[in-house]
Amino acid sequence: MIHEFIDSWALFHNTYLVGWLIGLLLALVGVLVVARDQIFIGAAVSQASTLGIALALGLGSWTATDALEWLHADAFLSAMAVVFSVLAALLTARGGEDGKESHEAVTGWVFLVSASGAILIVSHSPHGLDEIHRLLSSSIIGATQRDIWTFSALVIVTAVALAASHRRVLLFALDPAMAAAVGMRLKPWALVTSAWLGLAVGLSIRSAGMLYTFGCLVLPALVAKNVCREVRPMFVVAPLVAVGTASVGFVLANHYDDPPAQMTVALLCLLLTVAWLIRRLRRGRV
Amino acid sequence: MHVGDHEVIVKTTGLCLGYGQRMVLVQVDFEIRSGECWFFLGPNGEGKTTLLRAMLGMIRPQAGQLWIHPELGQRERIGFVPQRCDINPTLPTTVREFVLLGLVGIHTDQNDEALRLEWALDKVGLGRLEGKDYWSLSGGQRQRALVARALVRRPSLLILDEPTNGLDLAAEDAVLRFLAELNRKEQQTLLFVTHNLAIAARYATHIALFHAGEVVSGPRREVLNRQTLERIYGVAVEISSNQSGASVVTVCPPERRP
Repeated sequence: MIHEFIDSWALFHNTYLVGWLIGLLLALVGVLVVARDQIFIGAAVSQASTLGIALALGLGSWTATDALEWLHADAFLSAMAVVFSVLAALLTARGGEDGKESHEAVTGWVFLVSASGAILIVSHSPHGLDEIHRLLSSSIIGATQRDIWTFSALVIVTAVALAASHRRVLLFALDPAMAAAVGMRLKPWALVTSAWLGLAVGLSIRSAGMLYTFGCLVLPALVAKNVCREVRPMFVVAPLVAVGTASVGFVLANHYDDPPAQMTVALLCLLLTVAWLIRRLRRGRV
Repeated sequence: MHVGDHEVIVKTTGLCLGYGQRMVLVQVDFEIRSGECWFFLGPNGEGKTTLLRAMLGMIRPQAGQLWIHPELGQRERIGFVPQRCDINPTLPTTVREFVLLGLVGIHTDQNDEALRLEWALDKVGLGRLEGKDYWSLSGGQRQRALVARALVRRPSLLILDEPTNGLDLAAEDAVLRFLAELNRKEQQTLLFVTHNLAIAARYATHIALFHAGEVVSGPRREVLNRQTLERIYGVAVEISSNQSGASVVTVCPPERRP
C-alpha cells in the first residue's frame, strides 16, 4: 500500500503537498474558530467563497471570451473566492451586540444566500454547474506548483504570528472582555482574524473544494479539543492530526482508488468519534 | 518607580465621561491612595462601570483629567476581575493556563512566569490546584482563579467588578474575607464595583456613591450617612453597628418612614 503511494508520488506530489499544507493551515486557523465556538461561521465562510466562484463563472459566461480575457483566468476565480469569503468572515464577525441581530442569524443568512445563490447563478451554464458541484463535493487533484508556494507562505505566516502572540490570541479567543481590559483593541483583532480566516478558507476552497476545506477547518481542532488538557497544545495537536490523517487518507485513497479529500474527511470524523469516546472515558474515570 | 505607602495612584479632576452626546458622569473629583479599599456603589446605570472603563483605558474622558500613577504604566500594573468570565465552557483549560492569561501585555521569562503563577495561586489559596481542570473547580474556586489571573500581573491596583455575583453565601463570604485580608496584610489597593451596600459597609475604607451623574466620595464613615444614602437611593435607611463594630445599613419599613 505504501509502495503504491510512493509510486504515485511522481504524478500526484502537488496534490499531496497541497493537501497537507491546506490541512496545516486550516487546522491552525480552526483552533481559533473552535475556541470561539464559531464552527457555523466556518461553514458559512466556506459556502460564501463558492458564491464568489459561481459569480466569477457567471460573469465569464455572460461576456465574450476575447473581450475580457481576465474574467476567465484562474486567478480571477481565486480572487473572487477570497473576496467573498473575507466579506462573509467580516460580516459574520459583526452582530451579537445589544439591539443588533445575533451572530447565528447573520451567519445563517450568509450560509443560505451563498448556498442558493451559487447554484442559481450557474444553473444555466453546464460548465459552471459542474464546477460548483466539483467544489461542493471536493477534489484536491489538480493542485499546482503555485498552490504549493501560496499555502507554504500562508502556513509560515500563520505559525509565526501564532507563536509570536500566542497568549494574546488565546485571551482574545477565550475571554474578549478581559482582553479589552488589559488593553487589547478588540475591533482590529476581530478584523484581522476574520480577514485571515476568509483568506485561508477562500484560497483553500478554490484548490480543495468545500468538503475538504470545512473538514480540515473544524475536525482537527475538535479532535485536539477532546484530547488536550489546555488550549495552547491544541495549536500543535490539531495540525499534527490534520497532516497525519491526510497522509493516511491519501495512502488509502490511492490504494482503493477513492477520492482523497472524502477519504481524509471520513477518517477525521472517525478520529473525532474516537476522541469523544476517550474524553467520555476520561471524565468517567475522574 | 515604585508606588509608596499611601501615595496617590488615581486622581480625577473635573472628570466628565459619556458615550457620544450622552453624558454619564459630570465633574467627578476623587483620589485613590495606595493601600485603600474602595467601593464604587450605586444603582445600576449610574456610571460605575463607565468610570471603571475609563480607568482601564477603554474610554476617553470628554472633559477633565484622569491621572494614573506612572507606575501603573499602560495599565500593566492594574489587575481586573470582570463580572463574568465568558470562556467557552467546552474548551479544555487548566488553572495554570487560565491564570497565565493574565500576563498578556507583560514581558516575562519562564522563571518569572513560574514565580508569578506560584505567588498568585498561593495568595488565593489555589496553590495545589495548578494543574487541575478549570471546569472542575467550584464557583468560589473559579472566582479565586479569576482573582489570581488579575494578581499574576502583580497589580498596584486591583479592580473587581461585582466579584461575588452568582456565588452562594458561603463562597461570597470566603471570597470577601480573603480579599479583605489581602488589603489588610499585603496593603493591596482594592476597588470593588458593586451595588451591594451591605458588603461595602462591612469592608470599605472609602466609598464612592454614584447618582444622577454625580459622585459623592470619601472615607466610609463620611459618605455612608443617612442623608446621603436616602438622597441617592430614595428610601429611608438606618445605619447601626453590629457586634464586631462594622456598619450595617437597613432600609426602614414603611411604617417607620417619615
